[in-house]
This record gives sequence, C-alpha cells and structure tokens, in this order.
Amino acid sequence: MDTVAHRQIDSRVEIARKALRECRLCPRNCGVDRTAGRKGYCRLDDGLRVYREVLYWGEEKELNPSHQVYFAGCNLKCDFCAVGEWNESPEDAPKADLDEIIETIGRRKKEGAKNLNLLGGEPAVNVCGIIELLGRLDDTTAVVWNSNMYYNTIVDELMAGLMDICLADFKCGNADCARRLLDSADYVEVVKENIVRATRHCDVIVRCLALPGHIDCCAAPILEWLAEEAPKVKVSLRGNYVPPAEAKEAPLGYLSPAEYKRAERLAQKMKLTLIQ
Amino acid sequence: MRKKRYKRKCGDFEVRVLADGRVIILAPDERLLQVAGSLDPDNELLPPHKESKKNAGK
Repeated sequence: MDTVAHRQIDSRVEIARKALRECRLCPRNCGVDRTAGRKGYCRLDDGLRVYREVLYWGEEKELNPSHQVYFAGCNLKCDFCAVGEWNESPEDAPKADLDEIIETIGRRKKEGAKNLNLLGGEPAVNVCGIIELLGRLDDTTAVVWNSNMYYNTIVDELMAGLMDICLADFKCGNADCARRLLDSADYVEVVKENIVRATRHCDVIVRCLALPGHIDCCAAPILEWLAEEAPKVKVSLRGNYVPPAEAKEAPLGYLSPAEYKRAERLAQKMKLTLIQ
Repeated sequence: MRKKRYKRKCGDFEVRVLADGRVIILAPDERLLQVAGSLDPDNELLPPHKESKKNAGK
C-alpha cells in the first residue's frame, strides 16, 4: 500500500508521544504524564478510544457522505454537548484497534465515503494515536479534522500536511459566554489563532453554531471577525442547536427561525462565503 | 414519577418528539440513522433508504 511515510509520520508520532509525558497539547496545560496512565482535564491516558463510526449524510453538503470516526475525550465541557457522556467517561469506549479501523475506512470508501472525518470528543487531545492511524492510510483518503480548535500550537504543527479540510467549530464569540458555556475563558482567542494557522496549510470550513439567545453576543462577533481576519474561509452557519435536558448555563430552547435568519443576514451582509 | 432527570450513559440514545411534530435523534448511531432514513426517505441529510430506492419504479 502506498502510505504517507514521506510525511514524517514516525517523527511526528515520537514528538506527540513525548508531549504526552507532560501533556500540554491544549491550553489546559495539565502537565500530567498520560503515558503513565495519569489523566488531566480530558480524562484521557495515552490510549486512543473510538466509540462510534458511521457513514453520515448530515455534514456540510460538500463533505457528504462522510465517514465519521468518534474519539472519546474532550478538553471543553460544553454545557450542551450531545455526546457528553463519552467525554465524562472516555474509558468506557474500547481501545482502538488500528488494523480494524483501517479495514473499516476501506469498507466505508467502497460504500461511498468522500472523506475520513475525525471528531469526538476532540481529536486534538487524541492527536498521537490519530497520527499513527493516518500513517497507515493510503494517500487517496481525504482527511477532515473536525475540531473544537482549542489546542496549543504543537497540535497544528503535528497535523499540518496530514489534514485536507479543517472543519473548525466556533461556538462562542466572547470570553464570558465561553467561560459559562464551554468552561474556557480563553477559548475565543485560542480558536481565532488556530483558525488562522489552519488556513496556512489546508482548506478551512468554519462551522458557527448559532446558539439561541446568543446571536448578538456570539454569532455576530464571530462572523465579524471572520469577515475581517479570515474572509476566504467557507462558513457553515448551523441552526441545529439541540438543548440539553438540563443545563447550568446553556439555552434550554431551540433556535428560532427568526434568530437563524438574522445571523444569516449578518453573514450575507459581510459577504462571507456561506455553505450548507 | 422520577424526581431527577435521567442522565444519559454511554451507549444510550435519546429520541425527542417536539411540540411542532419534529422528531430529533441525539447523536444517532448507524442503525438509528437508517431508521430515520426509512421514515423520511426524501431527506438528503439521511442515508438513502434501500427499500424505497428498490421500490421507486414499482
């Protein structure tokens, strides 16, 4: 099989593995030795855990059908997370068998998958195992990095050249909302930096989830920033927020059509490239 | 009646029926997506329903 050996997989894995010994992959900077089984904020050791894989038709149209592979564990605590149970106890997900995943990726391609979609949880905190996995892939598989973008520079450096499309979440547009809804006061600044970095080495789609009651404080400043600093990225404005059954801070209602329309008009006014 | 809301555990799934009639499946696995596809075969965000395709010309 033609592999991506020329992309220095071995040295990237070595660097990533070394980073896990005093983990500072993300701005939580826990500093724990994950190779010794210690767990930080993301509750992950050094094992790669996959809890679901599916051929999915509900991503952005140009990505469908997309082969989603879900990795357990996350470095944000979104109050409205739809898969929060897997992030609270990632050890409930089985350890990944890379041979098995590679076989599944081949099968999904035959079923029509346009790409391999790495998500979670959060792929960044699983970057070591993910690079090992990508090292076994053939060059013809398009890789989508479906991330919350909350990570330190090292992750971008490790993944540069290995992803074809960066599907970047951008949920909160100010520090206060990010602290209350995502448990991260520095979220906005970190995500902005990582989106700009990603544009230097791959195509970027920014997925802005319009949160009910947060158009003025979150969606609007995100769209304004994109128009100013990353005008060439494609923007996917999502109106499919699903409220949690219970929440401390997250909106408990659904997004109204009027709110979605308002966010969409803003994006159009700013001449952003909206995609469905 | 349960006083505290049930907290989803790993492996659970959740289906909601909204007041306006929409049905939402949270973080569905493949089997649930196929069920959704069979209920709404014209929805392009769901997997194509094999049976409805097979019967399309009949």
